[in-house]
Amino acid sequence: MKNMLVAENVTKTFDGLVAVNRVNIVVKENTFTMLIGPNGCGKTTLINCCTGILKPTSGRVLFEDIDITGWKPHEIYRVGFVRSFQIPLPFIGLTVIDNVLGAMRNPGEAPFKAPLLKKWAHVEEENMSRAMDILARVGLEKHWDLPSSALGAAQLKMLEVAKGLSSGAKLIALDEPIGGVDPASAHEILSHVSRLKEEGLTFLVVEHRIDIAAPFADYIYAMELGTLISEGPPDKVLNDPKVIEVYLGKEVEAC
Amino acid sequence: MSTHGHFAEKFKDILLGRAFHMSLIIFVLLAFLYFSGGTSIILSILIQVAVFSIITMSLNLEAGYTGIPQFGRVAAVIAGAFAVGAIPGRIMAFFMSLPYGAEYASDTVNVKLVPQINAVLAGSWLLSLGFLLMCIVIAGAAGALVGWLISRPAIRLKEAYLGISMLAIGDFLMWVGHNWNIIVGGSVPVYVPDPFRIFGAARFNVIVPAFFLIAIIIFIYLNRLVKSPLGRNFRMLRDNELSASAAGLDIVKVRTQSLVIGACIAAIGGGLYVIYTGSVAAIGMTRLTFTFWPWAYMMLGAIGSNVGVFLGVFLLTILRTMIIIYRSQWFGFLQAAGIDPLWLEYTLLGAVIIIVILFLPYGLVPEKVRPMLPANRVKKVISQKQMQT
Repeated sequence: MKNMLVAENVTKTFDGLVAVNRVNIVVKENTFTMLIGPNGCGKTTLINCCTGILKPTSGRVLFEDIDITGWKPHEIYRVGFVRSFQIPLPFIGLTVIDNVLGAMRNPGEAPFKAPLLKKWAHVEEENMSRAMDILARVGLEKHWDLPSSALGAAQLKMLEVAKGLSSGAKLIALDEPIGGVDPASAHEILSHVSRLKEEGLTFLVVEHRIDIAAPFADYIYAMELGTLISEGPPDKVLNDPKVIEVYLGKEVEAC
Repeated sequence: MSTHGHFAEKFKDILLGRAFHMSLIIFVLLAFLYFSGGTSIILSILIQVAVFSIITMSLNLEAGYTGIPQFGRVAAVIAGAFAVGAIPGRIMAFFMSLPYGAEYASDTVNVKLVPQINAVLAGSWLLSLGFLLMCIVIAGAAGALVGWLISRPAIRLKEAYLGISMLAIGDFLMWVGHNWNIIVGGSVPVYVPDPFRIFGAARFNVIVPAFFLIAIIIFIYLNRLVKSPLGRNFRMLRDNELSASAAGLDIVKVRTQSLVIGACIAAIGGGLYVIYTGSVAAIGMTRLTFTFWPWAYMMLGAIGSNVGVFLGVFLLTILRTMIIIYRSQWFGFLQAAGIDPLWLEYTLLGAVIIIVILFLPYGLVPEKVRPMLPANRVKKVISQKQMQT
């Protein structure tokens, strides 16, 4: 399997605080790769460094063998790597379908063509048809014309995935896709994601809720205090004493 | 439901709608002003409505649709006003072999020059029309340039910091114009050659429809612009910058597009304003009139809806004019209490903003969240999709 994303020795410091310390991860094509770890261990910072929201202090990020270190988010988007946010950030003044359409390109974005419907309407119609397919894949097709502000928490998470899909992304980084969502909806979200994986997409998922998410994962990286402490298939990582210690605390000696 | 019932329903909606109530209030106030003050007040209100609709629609594009804290609207208006005060007259002077250099703006020369230019303009309607179009093009170009310059700091600044810088740029331009004589005469206003001189005493009667026509063209243009993929990009930037950039938008580019188009239109408004008043006094281009009032118009009407903007401009212009005309007559008693009625205009501005924020946070005619394509084309795409499944 091809390497989709490679982070080599990525380090990010904030005024002396080392948030991510020489981390190496590899996301293979068409996998559900998980990144776990307690709060503040640097998972989101690592994702931010990979997707251009932050610039790594040192190290390299490669996407399909292209060095994307320090690129801007919209440039990384163009090569097929998009992300969702921990807190869904929908465009609340747009309908659900326009949220998806916003990530597709159209000649009507040029100032001189925008007022002329003829120049962009046919592309918009094609995009809209594609957007409806994408909404169907994440289970939002019934709500296409609602303002996105009317969606619930789980639906907003899926809207984030849909926005990622609409750009024709190959790799989607999901930051806590099931955070703050009830277990039933969480399961539904992950089922949608895993179906999309079967269609050929690759996912890098940051998640706390190992219990619900681990069964879907192919490979797991565990972080603690900015460094990787364990990696491997789910069974191996979840039974790693270091990972158990981080999540459950040190074993209390029998008295 | 029968077609008849459908129309009745729609008619009822309109009758109960805020836009209709607002129009009624505007009509009643206009009628009152007509019977108490005569035609000239109505004409002056209508001209101001046209000019300020243009300025406020441009503000709405930047602030309402793109989320830019545009507290320097006056900067682009000044660009248009100064450009129309400084350039078209000089071009005419050049072709008429009159002085067109620095001396054009000097008070003793300008006062003799402009009547000569006006005499030529009054002789030919074709020349007058050409002159008006030239003014609009020059104003728009100057505005676009200033808008682009203002967009440069916008790369690094956002929110309050961007707002404060734009506020400062507006005041800066005003003081440059006030002190640098060769642009528009400094502290002594320059006269603007009058493309409506040809109509003589009926000048104002012609300016009203002419300015309204320009305002309507801009209204149609802007409504098409915001109902397009570009308009969607503007809204994406407004709703969430980070998410917009993750969706592939170059946010600096999109913000620049909005600032340049907005400034171009605001400058046309500024240019028309000085054509109407016939002179450019730099010190009169205040942030109160050309930044804060447009904000109040926009907030009352509706952020993100140009029909709302038009109604907001109309209602508040009438109230402003009434206060300016009647303040000493009706509120003279305040003088005895030591309050100068001159401040009533500011009081109205403050009151409007507070009332809108408290009771009408989305304005009188809020933006409707709809897809960008016209409804019939959306329907076609969606029904095709539903047929497939």
